[in-house]
Amino acid sequence: MIDDLCDGPCEGDIAIAMFYCDFRDQQEQTATNIVGAILKQLLVRREVLEHVRQVFQKAKMEVGGRGLRLPDMVQMLKQAVSILPQVYICIDALDECLPKNLLELLGSMKEVLVESPRIRIFLTGRPQVEAEIARYFPTRLTVPVIPKTQDIKRYLENKLEMDPEPMAMSDGLHADILRIIPEKVSEMCVGASTTPIPSMT
Amino acid sequence: MDRTAYPHSINTGNVNSYNVTNSNIVNVNNVIADENPDIMRWLSPLDPRRRHQDVRTDRLDGVGSWMLDTKEFREWRSNEGGVDKSVLFCYGDPGVGKTYLR
Repeated sequence: MIDDLCDGPCEGDIAIAMFYCDFRDQQEQTATNIVGAILKQLLVRREVLEHVRQVFQKAKMEVGGRGLRLPDMVQMLKQAVSILPQVYICIDALDECLPKNLLELLGSMKEVLVESPRIRIFLTGRPQVEAEIARYFPTRLTVPVIPKTQDIKRYLENKLEMDPEPMAMSDGLHADILRIIPEKVSEMCVGASTTPIPSMT
Repeated sequence: MDRTAYPHSINTGNVNSYNVTNSNIVNVNNVIADENPDIMRWLSPLDPRRRHQDVRTDRLDGVGSWMLDTKEFREWRSNEGGVDKSVLFCYGDPGVGKTYLR
């Protein structure tokens, strides 16, 4: 998806920032650090960098140096987004954030969006975080992700081609794998997708 | 500034940001990052570059591309819906391929 944004026909300049949440890194993935990681990726113009540099110099002048707080970081992100013509922010696996960090992160994104409505935000996560996302973005668009049979077949074919011991596989087993696994996965996902997700709108 | 074009490449540089002009992807961010390591560390200790490289390497071309054809994705991307269509949430159970959408 990110690569598609880059590859597609572009009107003017596009800046893309992405972040992958990871439960193994929950302690360090605070909202402040995530917004900072997004901002780092948006320093694509000298004007943006200069603004950040000024805040950096000012923070260094303070006695003992002062760590960045979330409002400072959000303010810098707002400034960056207002300078850049088109910004896409993609955040993957929101369910892997600690609840406190998730709410602060969504609140920060909302603040930026209110000031710069042209920004596009792409989020992914398990259905459980839908309620939190709805709190901050009641008009969001949603797409359920269900593996398509064609995608599963393609993936399996690729894995079978990479089989280090292809001679150990009979034609029958090969055919069964390609037939049965996509069927079973589709059944599982159809079952799962009938569970409605709570709507907060 | 060294304006090196990396068509179709997103895995270069210290952080992964892309300035796209006339369909040429010009990664200026690695230059900025190289020149300003103090500012980069101050902004955040996190670096999402490695994870994106892993995802790109593991992803199979074409898998998940259906998402790009959905009405929701096109509305989100087109900007025509304004602020009401500015957030797109793709949800699914673990392992269904959300990270690998294309």
